[in-house]
Amino acid sequence: MQVRNGKDFWAGLMFTGFGLGFMLVAQNYPMGSAVRMGPAYFPTVLGGMLAVLGGMVFFRAFVSKFTYPLKVFLFRPLLLVGSIVVGGATYFAESQLKGVPMVQSALAGLSLFLFIGAFGPRSMFLILLGVVIFGYALKPLGLVLSTVVLIVISAMGGHDFRKKEIVILTIVLVIFGVFVFVKGLGLPFNLWPGE
Amino acid sequence: MDFALFHNLSIGFGVALSLQNLMYCFIGVLLGTLIGVLPGIGPVATIAMLLPVTFNLSPISALIMLAGIYYGAQYGGSTTAILVNLPGESSSVITCLDGYQMARQGRAGPALAIAAMASFFAGTVATVVIALFAPPLAEVALKFGPAEYFSLMVLGLVGATVLAHGSLVKAIAMTILGLLLGLIGTDVNSGIARFSFGLSELSDGIGFVIVAMGVFGFAEIVSNLEQGASRDVFVNKVTGLMPTWKDLKSSSGAILRGTALGSMLGILPGGGALLSSFAAYTLEKKIGDTSMFGKGEIRGVAAPESANNAGAQTSFIPLLTLGIPSNPVMALMIGAMMIQGIAPGPQVMTERPELFWGMIASMWIGNLMLVILNLPLIGMWVKLLTVPYRLLYPSILLFCCVGVYSLSNQPFDVMLTALFGLIGYVFVKLECEPAPLILGFILGPLMEENLRRAMLLSRGDASVFFTKPISGVLLGIAILLLLITLAPAVRKTREVAFQE
Repeated sequence: MQVRNGKDFWAGLMFTGFGLGFMLVAQNYPMGSAVRMGPAYFPTVLGGMLAVLGGMVFFRAFVSKFTYPLKVFLFRPLLLVGSIVVGGATYFAESQLKGVPMVQSALAGLSLFLFIGAFGPRSMFLILLGVVIFGYALKPLGLVLSTVVLIVISAMGGHDFRKKEIVILTIVLVIFGVFVFVKGLGLPFNLWPGE
Repeated sequence: MDFALFHNLSIGFGVALSLQNLMYCFIGVLLGTLIGVLPGIGPVATIAMLLPVTFNLSPISALIMLAGIYYGAQYGGSTTAILVNLPGESSSVITCLDGYQMARQGRAGPALAIAAMASFFAGTVATVVIALFAPPLAEVALKFGPAEYFSLMVLGLVGATVLAHGSLVKAIAMTILGLLLGLIGTDVNSGIARFSFGLSELSDGIGFVIVAMGVFGFAEIVSNLEQGASRDVFVNKVTGLMPTWKDLKSSSGAILRGTALGSMLGILPGGGALLSSFAAYTLEKKIGDTSMFGKGEIRGVAAPESANNAGAQTSFIPLLTLGIPSNPVMALMIGAMMIQGIAPGPQVMTERPELFWGMIASMWIGNLMLVILNLPLIGMWVKLLTVPYRLLYPSILLFCCVGVYSLSNQPFDVMLTALFGLIGYVFVKLECEPAPLILGFILGPLMEENLRRAMLLSRGDASVFFTKPISGVLLGIAILLLLITLAPAVRKTREVAFQE
């Protein structure tokens, strides 16, 4: 048996994985009956359907008339394993780490970055990295600095990074953000750290 | 009846013509045109970003503005399609084929003018269609019980999967995955936080905007960058806007057909602008002299442009009468209504007539504004197109981030959006269409609730869905739709249709 359609192969695995995952987690909740459905009822049924459909897509990958290589997009399995190890450790060591929340967040963050880095091209990693940092930096650093971080990191994900242009773009967007988001729309962001 | 219609429309125009609402309508269509012209940012991301802002507006102003963004984007998208051979909006993909060819022959002006005229005509007709058909539909909907609602949603989801690109099985799987993701959060009946993994941030469920922005917005930026899209803008001087008499004559039939088709397809669950434009182009290619198609046939611009506008507008019908969104944009409109404390559904029309009719009237006014906005200002939009993508995408990212963050001021939301961006990228790579997922995500909790109620009322007898007349008919149509799609002949045409 040879995989003919790489896209179907992975899509099938993904759907089955999601379906089984939802079914498994749903078993923690009461099932109820058809008359009085518990919180587990609907997700279990749907999860089962999804797993079956995933199976269909998976098997279709071997007989498909479309052919795609098995390597559909960049994938770095080592990083994924690392992410799961760090993430799992953080999750199960939660009780030990209660006293030091900083360490826990740092580990969770590391796991997340490894996870994002495991898939896709470099540009995606940089863009999503910029986005996540922006989200967590907005409150402590303020709008101005986090905008700078977002624009510079995400611009590095592009094909040609032109320093001068990015500097100008950043300045323009910072001014725009301050006047439109904060002054104009009245969004409750602080502009500078510690305000 | 007719008298009531005029009475209602006069209420509507009274509301829509107030200075404040005119202003918001203008802002809406202006923004809509802007994002329509810019490839890479669509109405979903824009409306999502503006949702938190609408909190401070009156309900009617908010809805008028958001609706304006959607149909405004249909106008703007055609400009980019014609001048750059790139769809500014996904629904103008098909306009590229003949529109760009016309531009290369130095006839960009007439192409733009016909696109605007076709859109305006279609918008006007669609407004009338909504005014005529929404009230009787809402009356039917008032009789709906949980079983009917459940079946209706099944039909909607089946519609969305049948109309999605590519593989049917994958589309169904995506819908179910969407339903499951929608169930994350606290279960209303038992109070148990489902699939939250002990994270308090997840106990309220995942925001719709987060999923939509991640899967559509971020994922699209990433795949654009990956393709290394260096867009050479074809900005010839646009001269001579006026189409010739011959152009007008040959495109008038196409506009009529496109409008009719678009109005019908827009009402279908899962329909809307994109599907309408494809269908209209395919139809046009079967009629009359087809030798010029793909080489600058003006009918190839007129038909899809009228269809996508008509479809965009009539897709408001299921939202306004049944409270059920037929596409992602409508799902956001539901979000906007909920923010304002309005439960979408058939009762809106009777309880808040000024809201309903005001919105309809504003659509016509908005269309008028769009014609005025588009034709003389075309030079400005063209300039905008010369901004390179490497400057555009960081700006789009900033808007998206600010939009997500301001939903509830939680960094966690931004992180989750990034994660959905990653998932969305994987979907693109695996050829899994995200639109059915979004629809399922919206309908997940609603479907579960109605299923539970219906089963409770029938004491666990599942046959109730088939024995109740309306519910049975709806399910019958859904099953029929699925069967038709699976029929070999239809399957083949479907494959061909989506390949174009």
